[in-house]
Amino acid sequence: MTTSNTETVAVNKSSGWQEFWLKEDWWAVWLGLGIVLLAYVFYLNGSSISWIAVSPAKWSTLSQLGEQFSKNAVRYLALLGVFLILFTIVVSFIGQKPRAFIPSFIFVFILSTIIYAAGNWDQASKYNLEPPLVALVLGLIISNVIGLPRWLDAGFRVEFYIKLGIVLLGATLPFTLIIWAGPVAILQASIVSLVTFLVIFYTARKLGLDKRLAAVLGAGGAVCGVSASIAVAGAVRAKKEHPPIAISLVVFWAIILIFALPLVSRTLHLPTGVGGAWIGTSEFADAAGLAAAQSYGGLAGKNLGISGTAEQALASYTLIKVIGRDMWIGIWAFVLAFISVTVWERNETNSKVQVGQIWWRFPKFVIGFLIASVLTTLIVHGNTLADYNKIVKPSLIAPITSLRTWAFTFSFLSIGLTTRFRELANAGIKPFIAFTVGVIVNVILGYILSVLVFGHYWSSIVTH
Amino acid sequence: MNIFNSIQLSSSGPVCRDCTYFQNDPAVIEDAYRGLTVMSSGFASVRDQDGLCNYHQLYLSARDSCPAFAPAASEINQEQAR
Repeated sequence: MTTSNTETVAVNKSSGWQEFWLKEDWWAVWLGLGIVLLAYVFYLNGSSISWIAVSPAKWSTLSQLGEQFSKNAVRYLALLGVFLILFTIVVSFIGQKPRAFIPSFIFVFILSTIIYAAGNWDQASKYNLEPPLVALVLGLIISNVIGLPRWLDAGFRVEFYIKLGIVLLGATLPFTLIIWAGPVAILQASIVSLVTFLVIFYTARKLGLDKRLAAVLGAGGAVCGVSASIAVAGAVRAKKEHPPIAISLVVFWAIILIFALPLVSRTLHLPTGVGGAWIGTSEFADAAGLAAAQSYGGLAGKNLGISGTAEQALASYTLIKVIGRDMWIGIWAFVLAFISVTVWERNETNSKVQVGQIWWRFPKFVIGFLIASVLTTLIVHGNTLADYNKIVKPSLIAPITSLRTWAFTFSFLSIGLTTRFRELANAGIKPFIAFTVGVIVNVILGYILSVLVFGHYWSSIVTH
Repeated sequence: MNIFNSIQLSSSGPVCRDCTYFQNDPAVIEDAYRGLTVMSSGFASVRDQDGLCNYHQLYLSARDSCPAFAPAASEINQEQAR
């Protein structure tokens, strides 16, 4: 650790208000809602932000692709410029160095453009070139085979990009869908989360692992991956070496499931809404799950026998993951902190449990996701389906969807670029067994609930 | 045991945030926990103001407290100013 005590104390002294500009979650809310409001202003004036929200179109030959890029070169440069300005402001406020971020983000943008374009090749599905998976594999190869200097990590902000993308995703989901499907999502996710947590926790205890480590592992497998593990670690006062164990196991299994869940869903010809729900129930981290859900949704309507739409996969995934699981991390942390104080031994500290952590640990980007959904639902309300498809969708929803896809691509690529397998902590055999048992139960139970119990529900969700 | 005795609305008295052994700079946490940024972040809301205690070797909340509390340099300066 190179930071001196003096520097650290300065950072330690942060008040509640500073959260608004020191946390990535809030920045995802500000930027996401800002983009939605700007898009609405343009829409009201009979215009659109579609000029700046440029994205590669379908192509079949390299000359077509070259023509696209030469025709839209200024738009791509403008988009890069806007992202750079906005994101540099964010990293400056949260305390990172713009000098490292700017070249790193340009690198991310260039690679993302190539991946986005590759995904729009008309033969892409034939060769399984799903953009999220291509981004992940390319990132993994670059970081683990070629290697990159450490300072370049400044631009690989997986969580920030995915949170921004989720806020923008909210703008493309009707709030009525959240109200309609939210309770089922919460019910399904709660059942799986509780069972998975208890399986991991008691398996870990049977194997003789520390209670706090068992809780940190359980939360990682049951709630929202690394974010849940780190939140619960702080709540139960885990030993310093506990979080890296959970991080290694979550990353290892999450990357396997990114490929495995879409592959099995495809083999079983699950409708996209059902596949998305299963991924939302059984993947751990938001970014990993979105990569899997988006890549499965991309298989719809391509003569593979998979019914539904790409948007259904994203919608059911997001409902289960964000509404059913992520939102409750504060409650999990509070309950486990309470148990650690009242039931488990406490030798090192003498604090009480603060009920405020339910809010302090709440993933604030969810607020942006919900507000964005309400805003666009109100905007769209009153339009006929014909008007929606002819006017609202191309001038308002499509550009937001394009920017969302950019944000997701930055995130998927960054997962690969930041995953250095040799740097992950050695988890040890006992934590590995406990976590793996939980993964198996989670995947099976997730399948039963998503496909057999609520399958009819998830296959029929309406996303417009 | 009254369970409500174990719950409080806000912390009172010295807390880890003001302790010399406590570090919660997000960059330090990301550096200490390699792999954290793969699927989470040191700057995420869920992490609140948690940090590392170099006395007990724990990862805990900035709002926690313990008998080994030692005021950080800035705290001592503030006390002297008062």
